Amino acid sequence: MNAASRGTTGSATFTRLLEMLRPDLMRFAWWLARDRSVAEDVVQETLIRAWKSREELKDPAAARPWLFTIARREHARLFERKRLPTVDVEEVEALGDPALATDGDAGLIDLRRAIMKLPEEYRAPLVLQVLGGLSTAEIATELGLTQAAVLTRLFRARNRLRTLYGLEPVEDVE
Amino acid sequence: MSDATPHSNARLHIGADPHSLPAEVTAHLEGCAECRRFRDEMLMLDGKVHAALELPLSEFRQRARPARRLALAASVVLALSVAGGFWLFRPATALAGEVVAHVEDEADSWNMHQPLPPAQVAEVLRKAAAEFDSPYPIVYGYPCPFRGHRVAHLVVQTPTGTMTVMLIRHEQVRRRTEFSRDGMQGVLLPAGEGSVALLTRDGTVPDAVAEEVVSRVHW
Repeated sequence: MNAASRGTTGSATFTRLLEMLRPDLMRFAWWLARDRSVAEDVVQETLIRAWKSREELKDPAAARPWLFTIARREHARLFERKRLPTVDVEEVEALGDPALATDGDAGLIDLRRAIMKLPEEYRAPLVLQVLGGLSTAEIATELGLTQAAVLTRLFRARNRLRTLYGLEPVEDVE
Repeated sequence: MSDATPHSNARLHIGADPHSLPAEVTAHLEGCAECRRFRDEMLMLDGKVHAALELPLSEFRQRARPARRLALAASVVLALSVAGGFWLFRPATALAGEVVAHVEDEADSWNMHQPLPPAQVAEVLRKAAAEFDSPYPIVYGYPCPFRGHRVAHLVVQTPTGTMTVMLIRHEQVRRRTEFSRDGMQGVLLPAGEGSVALLTRDGTVPDAVAEEVVSRVHW
């Protein structure tokens, strides 16, 4: 196998990876942006940047957190560049966003609405963990926090969501 | 966390990551029914959270606006084109083939009839790093990913019919190259440091239109 054909095989593998992870990438971008158009822009920019930087991905198994990291930075870049307005949950609902579609499971929609309302500092680590599969140590690195701070934010995020299921919030942690 | 009690430490870890608990928390659970119940509740909640985060993308696709849906497809085409090896070979014929494939993938763009607001056109051109003072109404515009860059994908209404205009800043062609495929007639033209692709399904691209368009493109 010559160098050119090795490169082609690598490209094909990489493309399959992108295709496989694209749905979750779109979901992740949506939860960051809470706006479909912005999320689509973030995904497109992420795919382009990932392709250009594909040599940096040494282990395909790490593709998911790697892509999510790129997406988070692209979202931050977009947010900074465009000064995107703050998202209002009721406005998203009024626009008929599929994420809050009223024809689905009512419990899930309530939970989505509650996750949307979580402060960014709680929502971002939760999405990175549950959707991205990042460990608390990886989230700490990604967000520039201590691991203890990440644990606290994740705890508070879940604690706020407990009430939706008739569970009392437990005492906060320091 | 070193000064936390085993109970509060367990609460913190269970609430933060109920699926992955440190050994000392697992040990604490053995003798603490309250924390075991808390873990069970959080595991139940986590299943719901996971399901909630799994947004219904099929709904997204059904409800996406046409231009956005097409743009999504374009990004997939980008990746597939790359995998196909087109990336490595860039003569004008290959470029023409990719332009046709891209336009075919966004065929709905030819069904647009309402002129776009100038601000929207300006934003497309800005993203594609291009300037274009169109002599014709622009009815579709999107900064599409193409060969690793953004290009301005426009559709204009010319006197002879609907025409796609792609402003490709990052690709140079040496000379005018005409092509024809799948009922489309097109031409690739040099335009300064970049190139312009014009395609139509209404006959051929008139020379006068091509010259007029190219003269109004700047990078």
